[in-house]
Amino acid sequence: MRHFFWSNFFSRTNNEQEKIAEYWLKTPLFKGIPEAQLKHLVKNMHLRQFSSNETIFFQGDQGAGAILILQGSVKVMAKQVELATLVEGDFFGEIALAETDKRTADAIATTQTRLVFFLKQDLEEWVELEPQYGAIFLKNLAQTLALRLLKANNLLAQKK
Amino acid sequence: MIQANIQEASHSYLYTFKVFITIIAICLACFYLLSPILVPIIISLSLYALLTPVTQYLVRKNCNHSLAIVFVLLVLLMLSFIALGYILPRVFDQLLLLQTKLPAIMTLVENYLTLGSKKITDLFGVELDMSEIFISLVSQSTSLGNTIIIGTSDKLISIMISVLLIPFMTYFMLKDFRSLRNNLMNCLPNSSFELGWLIYYRVSSQLQIYTRGVLIQAMIMAIITTIGFSLIGIEIPVLLGVMTGLLNLVPYVGPLISIIIASVVVLGMSPFDPSLLYLGMLVIVTGQIIDNTIVIPAFIANAVDLHPILVILGIIIFGNIFGMVGIILAIPAIAAAKILFTNLYSDIYNSSQRYSLTSSNTHE
Repeated sequence: MRHFFWSNFFSRTNNEQEKIAEYWLKTPLFKGIPEAQLKHLVKNMHLRQFSSNETIFFQGDQGAGAILILQGSVKVMAKQVELATLVEGDFFGEIALAETDKRTADAIATTQTRLVFFLKQDLEEWVELEPQYGAIFLKNLAQTLALRLLKANNLLAQKK
Repeated sequence: MIQANIQEASHSYLYTFKVFITIIAICLACFYLLSPILVPIIISLSLYALLTPVTQYLVRKNCNHSLAIVFVLLVLLMLSFIALGYILPRVFDQLLLLQTKLPAIMTLVENYLTLGSKKITDLFGVELDMSEIFISLVSQSTSLGNTIIIGTSDKLISIMISVLLIPFMTYFMLKDFRSLRNNLMNCLPNSSFELGWLIYYRVSSQLQIYTRGVLIQAMIMAIITTIGFSLIGIEIPVLLGVMTGLLNLVPYVGPLISIIIASVVVLGMSPFDPSLLYLGMLVIVTGQIIDNTIVIPAFIANAVDLHPILVILGIIIFGNIFGMVGIILAIPAIAAAKILFTNLYSDIYNSSQRYSLTSSNTHE
């Protein structure tokens, strides 16, 4: 009985951690990072639950890190205009990993949603400990941010 | 429009102040409740900050977490024993030397003061006996010293328990602090989760830089002054150097006290050499110049950005309330409070602006 309880208790946690690691590995942010490294990082990530229509953050809020959708979906809005709807496995808010100053859009959970927060603080600790992987991650982050900027510029050009 | 903005800002300011005062009151209550074991907690926290990168590195190299902590703590304990075994006998020898010299120092100071008083009386015609004031001051400080010594021996058991507590506390902090902190932060509501982590991140990184910087600063100051005192030939150079390094932890006032202590030791040396008095001061001033031009910009600059008057006031107030621990903790505590207030204010102001924008849109 005791063995059954503990094995279930831990296997559930491990399964969840593996799922989080699997989702992150599919993102461009962790391209070229070994799975073992990511598993260590995932242990320090923070799982939060949001109810339907609950605001995750507002435009202008200070951001602490990037967010991965583990379950549910999220609507990204700016000035009452819907920019994107993100689903399980997508990530957003990665600008906060580079600069924690301001969130650039509103993010609202559209269903019961579970989110994983990867905080800038944990990233910095990791970069200090593992600079060679940190350099790969920061290069990936720069590429992701550049791509998003390019997309935003194209959108602006189309509007004009 | 401008008036509305001013009103909004002042309302946010007031609300921030209320939240800030509540958090500070909770912190002070925790501080008071933990006061019997505050010193071992502070030392353990400092050791935690110092050792975490090492244990984390070992864990990433596939070492068991508990084993990594035990290994790091054992190495630290061994190094501490070796260092104490080397330093303590020398410090005790020098303290004994100072004890034998003390009566001579007192007599010398008394003689100088009598001479000085006579000169003042001759010059200004005012009856002044500074040696009497000195004797009464000495007797008062002696009785205070006795009280401290008796009090310390009474508290010897609690001091011993505190010393024994440090390795255990450090072990459990290294093992469980992260998960305990994460669980506590998880108690925050979704709306404050990111702000809570941001404040924690900013405070902890600033305190880490400050603690590391101050320890390096004290060590460098102790080494420079010990070498300087030995070169110019002042007695008990190691003890004086260590004291100067430690006193450097107290800003502005510390260096002045170390100059006074060094001067007293020089006065007690036989034969008395006045040039040593100036050279001793020169060593401390040189140390201060190196400290202010090289050490502080390299290790502490930007760690705390506080106005000097705020620092002095903080030291006086904290020193009065919490004693020696308060003097050392004053600067990091004020720096942390400043970060807390500015971040809370920015968030509350932002929310109130958003709220007023939404309500004006609804009215339209």
